[in-house]
Amino acid sequence: MSTPGTAALTRLADLVGAEHFWTDPTGLSRYVVDGRWPRAAVQPGSAEEVAEVVRLARAEKLALVPVGGGTRLGLGMPPSRYDVAVDCSRLNRIIAYDPGDLTLGVEAGMRVAALDAVLARHGQMLPLEMPFFDAMTIGGMLASGSSGPQRQLYGAPRDFLLGAEFVTGEGRRAKSGGRVVKNVTGYDFHRLLIGSLGTLAIFTVANFRTFPRPPAQALFVISFAELGGALALRRALAQSPLTPTAIELASPALVRLLGPDAALVPPGHWSVWVLAGGESTVVERHARDLERMARSASRTAFARLDAESMNPLWTRLREFPSLAREASPAPTLVKCNMLPGELGTLAAHAENIAGRHRLPCALLLRGVGILYVLLLPEETGEETLARLAAAAEELLQTGTEYGSAVVEACPVELKRMVHVWGSAARRNDLELMRRLKQVFDPDHVLSPGRHIGGL
Amino acid sequence: MHPTKAVSRRLQRRTLRDLQRLLGPENVLHEPEDLLLYEYDGSVEVARPDCVVFPQTTEQVVGIVQIARRDRVPIVGRGAGTGLSGGALAREGGIVVVFSRMNRILEIDLENQRAVVQPGVVNLDLTKAVEHAGLYFAPDPSSQKACTIGGNVAENAGGPHTLAYGVTTNHVLGLELVLMDGSVVRVGSRAPDPPGYDLTGLLVGSEGTLALVTEITVRLLRSPEAVKTLLAVFDRVDDATATVVEITARAITPAACEMLDGWTLRAVEDFIHAGFPLDAAAVLLIELEGLAEAVEAQAVQVFDVCTRCRAREVRLARDEAERQRLWAGRKNAFGAVGRLSPSYYTQDGVIPRTKLPETLRRIEQIGATYGFQIGNVFHAGDGNLHPIILFDSRDPDQFARAVAASTAIMEHCLSVGGALTGEHGVGMEKSELMPRMFTEDDLELMRRVRDAFDPLGLLNPGKILPLGKGCGEIRVQPLPLRAPQSA
Ligand SMILES: Cc1cc2nc3c(=O)[nH]c(=O)nc-3n(C[C@H](O)[C@H](O)[C@H](O)COP(=O)(O)OP(=O)(O)OC[C@H]3O[C@@H](n4cnc5c(N)ncnc54)[C@H](O)[C@@H]3O)c2cc1C
Repeated sequence: MSTPGTAALTRLADLVGAEHFWTDPTGLSRYVVDGRWPRAAVQPGSAEEVAEVVRLARAEKLALVPVGGGTRLGLGMPPSRYDVAVDCSRLNRIIAYDPGDLTLGVEAGMRVAALDAVLARHGQMLPLEMPFFDAMTIGGMLASGSSGPQRQLYGAPRDFLLGAEFVTGEGRRAKSGGRVVKNVTGYDFHRLLIGSLGTLAIFTVANFRTFPRPPAQALFVISFAELGGALALRRALAQSPLTPTAIELASPALVRLLGPDAALVPPGHWSVWVLAGGESTVVERHARDLERMARSASRTAFARLDAESMNPLWTRLREFPSLAREASPAPTLVKCNMLPGELGTLAAHAENIAGRHRLPCALLLRGVGILYVLLLPEETGEETLARLAAAAEELLQTGTEYGSAVVEACPVELKRMVHVWGSAARRNDLELMRRLKQVFDPDHVLSPGRHIGGL
Repeated sequence: MHPTKAVSRRLQRRTLRDLQRLLGPENVLHEPEDLLLYEYDGSVEVARPDCVVFPQTTEQVVGIVQIARRDRVPIVGRGAGTGLSGGALAREGGIVVVFSRMNRILEIDLENQRAVVQPGVVNLDLTKAVEHAGLYFAPDPSSQKACTIGGNVAENAGGPHTLAYGVTTNHVLGLELVLMDGSVVRVGSRAPDPPGYDLTGLLVGSEGTLALVTEITVRLLRSPEAVKTLLAVFDRVDDATATVVEITARAITPAACEMLDGWTLRAVEDFIHAGFPLDAAAVLLIELEGLAEAVEAQAVQVFDVCTRCRAREVRLARDEAERQRLWAGRKNAFGAVGRLSPSYYTQDGVIPRTKLPETLRRIEQIGATYGFQIGNVFHAGDGNLHPIILFDSRDPDQFARAVAASTAIMEHCLSVGGALTGEHGVGMEKSELMPRMFTEDDLELMRRVRDAFDPLGLLNPGKILPLGKGCGEIRVQPLPLRAPQSA
């Protein structure tokens, strides 16, 4: 790849305006991806400007990486080429909000937290509590395929995204879906783009259905001497008529990361964190039934925190990846996806693998069938990295036997040793994904090489 | 609005011979009288296939695709043929692949609430197979006693209860596909978040134009512990629609919220005896489901809204029998209407719920302008309209006016920010209307994605994307003296 001509960069600056264009190291430092620096960064002010930037990049053979809040840029493999960061943060308006219809259209660069504040004024919300909540944007959240604990009740963003507008790698503006809660007109490209890491298109607008904020909420933290008890409670909950918002299981090491507030879990014990919301009668029903279920699963402690008192603890649990960065110089996060009934088996494997490689580890199990394994080496260095790589490799392999597994975050150096997508690149639908990449981004302008199989 | 001519491209002799060798002669229909049934689906369209085949395995489907590809013959998947947009019709002739003999439930995982089924499994049969364990398959189209899960996947079908539980795409986790190059590909997975692009999300709702689906992995839901079914009776349509607006605005989430207008409920009552009051202007059938405490709280809120919006009466179904009668009235409404008119045309459009009152007034106006009785029975809680236009298709003038009225309704939906179809699909019915909702760039992207799956354009040709020949109007073929199957 030859160095892009400065002429092309000048034209980019003309396009978005000099005040929305950077080439200096300070300006660019925010856009470093896996240690790679772009040559320039732009902040387009409209979807049309995004399209023009992409068209120019395509003509000049520049590689782009879209950037939202910059909180999940480390997902995926390092880009094989990276010339310009396309910062979407000026696309930050709500373009349509019909509270009476519970529908919303919002630009992709809007911060989820800012949007949440607007929805709150109408007693509504989007169930998007997840790590980096304060910094993440709608576009980055969708493109990175993120989801959080509330998925237990509300589903993942794919379940409440109604439509989207986007710019393809050819610089064409297109849309799919609509802004009504039910719609089967045309192909659902907006779902296809979720989790595509910006390798197919840049989101410019997303349409959602919104939800009522529950009038009452409570967080139940229930402790067990062994993982088995926690799993038994999860199972009992899944088979009950209860409708919890979230079911998270935390290993003793994860609870330690949460700090002194988490003293309501006895040291060394596993805990189940159940969030319940709705009318107060509904919350009370959860309280009663949970007490009973917890008792028959031999709980060692049972705590209830109401809406006013559940934070900051609940927030800290949500933000567990950031806590990892405080706890270790080289935190590595592996996400394994499986059937809920296999959570326990895989958790045991994970602890075993970490132990064999002498790596402290903390686990978070999500009731829908997700296991987050945080590997927390106490030091960096060649030898540690080698152990980290070996453990990650084994986790990817074992995880894949039960479903799938990916490294979500790790030191950049590890990406030279471990393929973060594991064996996902051997899926037999990869060829179809290649064909779609060819349609959306034939010249590999967008985030080249980041997704599975080098997409 | 020119009636489509089924291009009967007579099959080459070797095509038929090889299909018969592959499947056995008993699984290949080609005599004109045998093909007759497959010229129709639940829509008002007609198109004649050249042959109809009944595979029993994925390998056989691969074989069929290979023969079709070799001989450049179009190929169209078909479930139960209850589709309402002509999706399963062989618009350009060719082979119709009927999945009715691939109807086994392959696996049920009660603990993890998953099932793996062949595409020909009838929607309700899956629920029957798991209800003993307190589970069910949530998408519940009114045709659920007949339609197949393969057809549901292709159309991304909805139903009354999708208001609370979502449509088919929210319950499908993975698919086995036979692509037009003869390869078998698995997309999605039983576990959450399979890495890579969400091909399952793209395939569901693609109306059988990207691949043939040979296996489906679905999520099962746990049956709610409490159900309350309410019938709210109104003397004015405006009060009924205002009630729906208010229920939505207060963010009360019933499991279902269906509306029947006075004309429709009288047609139904005559036929089904559901217990609808004959003198009402409209009724809302509202179902609340979930935890007993949640249902209790919602019932209070719904009663309150209905009363404020001047409901004449809000009746709670006393027992399961009464509840079933009310639902029978709703689910058989189309069949009941079908008895009253030589032909009827069911539209399917979506609007933001806040626009419901003005929209029903507009539909009434359109009926008056074009001289038709237009009935309304629909998924009000979702803003998913189903106006039914009664006409006599033997009268060309009436036919033309019915089409014009229908187009006017669609135009209204789009003008208030709605969509062309909420659950019946674009099919061949609305392909020429697509440019009213999508730009040329949007459509070009769809075309190219379709080409990426099927470069030869042999799979279900003439659906979804505009042919660009028409004048942008809904094409309907005057015909059925036979009413669409009702379930
Ligand atoms: C009385 C009545 C009530 C209805 N109510 C509802 C309702 O409430 N909600 C709703 O959403 N719909 C409703 N419908 C429409 C219809 O029942 C649904 O669209 C249903 O999903 C179609 O299923 P089917 O098996 O009949 O498919 P078909 O009509 O046979 O086919 C529909 C489409 O699916 C494709 N297809 C079928 N099988 C496969 C396969 N294995 N692989 C690839 N493509 C395939 C076909 O090519 C076609 O494009 C109703 C229809 C009737 C007649």
